[in-house]
Amino acid sequence: MQILNQRRTTGALLLTALCATPIAAQDVLVQASKIVVAFGAGETKSTTLENSALLIRDGKIAFVGTDIPAEARRAARVIDYGTATISPGFVLAATTLGRDVDLGEGAIAFTPDLRTAEAFDPWLEQLEQLAPAGVTAFGLVPSARNVAGGIGAVGKPGKERGRLLAPEVFVGFSVSSAARNQERQPTSLMGAHQMLRESFTEARDGVKVGPDLAVLRQVMSGQRPAFFYADTFAEINAVLEIGASFNFAPVILGAGESDRVLKKLATRGAGVVLNTLNPKMRRAELELPAKLTKAGIPFCFAGRPELLRMSAALAVRYGLSRNTASAALTRTPSTFLGQQANVGALRSGCGADFVVYQGDFLDLGARHIATWVDGKLAHGTAPKRSSKKTRTINSAGGR
Amino acid sequence: MTRLLSISTLRTCTLALTLTAFAAAQQEVTAYTNATILPGGKPAMSNATLVVSGGKVIAIGGSDLKVPDGAKVVDCNGKTITPGLIDASFQSGNTAQDLNEQSDEVTPHLRVLDSIDPEDPRFQRARNAGVTTVHVMPGTRNVIGGLGCVLKTHGTDPKEMVIKEDASMRIVMGAEPSMSNRAIRGGRVNSMYYRRPTSRMGVIWAVRRAFYDAKEALTKTQGAPGDAPPSPGTQVLTQVLQGKLTVVTTARSEQDLRTALRIADEFGYKTVIDEAQDAYMVADELAGKKAVVMLGSPSAEAVGGSASADGSAPRAGTVAVLAQKGVTFVITTGTNTAALPLINEAMFAVRNGLGPQQALDAITIEPAKLLGLSDRIGSLAPGKDADFVIWSQHPLDPAAVAESVLINGQSVSQLR
Repeated sequence: MQILNQRRTTGALLLTALCATPIAAQDVLVQASKIVVAFGAGETKSTTLENSALLIRDGKIAFVGTDIPAEARRAARVIDYGTATISPGFVLAATTLGRDVDLGEGAIAFTPDLRTAEAFDPWLEQLEQLAPAGVTAFGLVPSARNVAGGIGAVGKPGKERGRLLAPEVFVGFSVSSAARNQERQPTSLMGAHQMLRESFTEARDGVKVGPDLAVLRQVMSGQRPAFFYADTFAEINAVLEIGASFNFAPVILGAGESDRVLKKLATRGAGVVLNTLNPKMRRAELELPAKLTKAGIPFCFAGRPELLRMSAALAVRYGLSRNTASAALTRTPSTFLGQQANVGALRSGCGADFVVYQGDFLDLGARHIATWVDGKLAHGTAPKRSSKKTRTINSAGGR
Repeated sequence: MTRLLSISTLRTCTLALTLTAFAAAQQEVTAYTNATILPGGKPAMSNATLVVSGGKVIAIGGSDLKVPDGAKVVDCNGKTITPGLIDASFQSGNTAQDLNEQSDEVTPHLRVLDSIDPEDPRFQRARNAGVTTVHVMPGTRNVIGGLGCVLKTHGTDPKEMVIKEDASMRIVMGAEPSMSNRAIRGGRVNSMYYRRPTSRMGVIWAVRRAFYDAKEALTKTQGAPGDAPPSPGTQVLTQVLQGKLTVVTTARSEQDLRTALRIADEFGYKTVIDEAQDAYMVADELAGKKAVVMLGSPSAEAVGGSASADGSAPRAGTVAVLAQKGVTFVITTGTNTAALPLINEAMFAVRNGLGPQQALDAITIEPAKLLGLSDRIGSLAPGKDADFVIWSQHPLDPAAVAESVLINGQSVSQLR
């Protein structure tokens, strides 16, 4: 009897040693001949592993490559993608998921304290388009119709339903033509500019209080990123002026004429979210990503999810480095959203969100094999392999 | 031979001017010699020399003026140099929607500067026609539209073009601010056009009400310093009442002109009258009150047959009447969409009885004085901005071409 008890204790100890926290589900070991842990942008090199693996526990990346403990490796269910390449899932910096009506409060133009999270439907049909396009996270942005639209959330698609990763992340503003409505204030760009100027002044001076001004204070203190829809020179210039006056670096959505304000964008530390590219666009538009990068302005894409990969490929075709183009789909948008620790890379602690392509996803011929979100297969296939036959993995990993 | 000579001169000119762009940055000195100079506000100088350095005029004089050692010399033989022209009422290319904040009829604090695009083709057109400075105001759909600004016509950033932010506040009389407004008669208010005012009387009421509030605010602020500050719009109006900000009232017909002067008297501010088509009818009153008049597109009547807007009856001879009665006026292109280039508007004024000197002053030194910038622009004198135009011949000649336009000593347009 005592012996039996002892055995039980040993068993329990062994289990505790194997996993610090009790596991709800079995760990998953995902192997491939190439794993990109994180894309570097510009001078930063990408972190790449050859013939390596990821260990997924509770929907997150627990260990990468040689860091995976032998016991965990043995106990895990193994998925082997063979000669394919695993890279971080794409991040769609800003989308309304086609729900502009629910994400723009029409009656008033200045509603910074509304929350897009409250209009998020996890069963929305549009969410189903994300995983097939490789998108594993998105910024749910208010519509462009309000000068201050509200607080944006970060969400993820899934196999059946989506979920919110963080309900209150950034603040969505707009000075684009959509925000200028002839049926309410403001009707003009100068009206929109003045509205922002007055509200930020009120928030800064602290004479008035209110939930809307509290949100603006969070923008000024750098607690929340500020996303601004702005397309023309005058609109972008207005946003940069507001940013300079109230001491924050905006992220500009759209930014079609950003090539006219490159220097200013760079000195103000602004980021740019371009609309997705297509081959029919003018050359100047296709060259914009390379121009922005040359000027030292971080950028990414947003728009139709299925065009993300093509946009990056076109940007490469028109002068952008492959490194920066890949980062524009992954790391850069996650930085804009302040979610570097959660999405956009496959480091330990990040969500287990990744895409599997047969080759480099920038080569449009590369076949999409699978998209994983939160450690679960959201789209595609997952070839299983018996855990006993785990092949030897290059312990050196590779960088 | 003459032709050959002129071409080679022109080539030299072009080359030298291209070099000027680089030279100015290095504080190099350039002398424009042998030109006829119309310096603005002063009689013409023949065989004259203009010396420019570091974006400023450093000397101007006759043939006896010594060209500084080491200066680049541009021979302007046969050419005429004038100060860069100033259009004191210039419409930027923004859409009407963006020049008017229609959510309210009184928006004194809105700035047209917020919607300026330096690549607006109208700036380029104006520049090519010798205009180096413009005064841009908000549109004419609001009773009090907002703040105008003064810009040079060349630059890549509105902040670097602007030489006077908050240069003026525009009030509009007449039918435009009330046009197609509808009164609310029950039902749903679902359009911006359900707004005040709906009549000419209503327009004046809106002005009076706004200034009345500003007056109140002024006494309140003086009485109790702890009070919350008045709204940004009222703050602008109080500046007007304190004489710190120029008012430009757009008034075309006789009745509107009289109303504009009366309201200004009532609240004790001075106003410039813009688009004053019927000014010839009230010339004596204008002269008596020493009101400055902006005459929008005096050519319009002559060219388009009639430029009658808002019940006015424009006359080609208005300019001559104003000059005769001693009313100070400037010539502008204004809101007339069929306006000619500014220099041709002045040319038509001469055709209709104005002296050439007066006509040129009305597009150079007079608008500079009106905008409070005569220490920088509007004439050529040592210390002033090197904004000038080299014309192929006397600028009021119909065949005259602005061959070179320079802003701050730098060439910004070369036609040939």
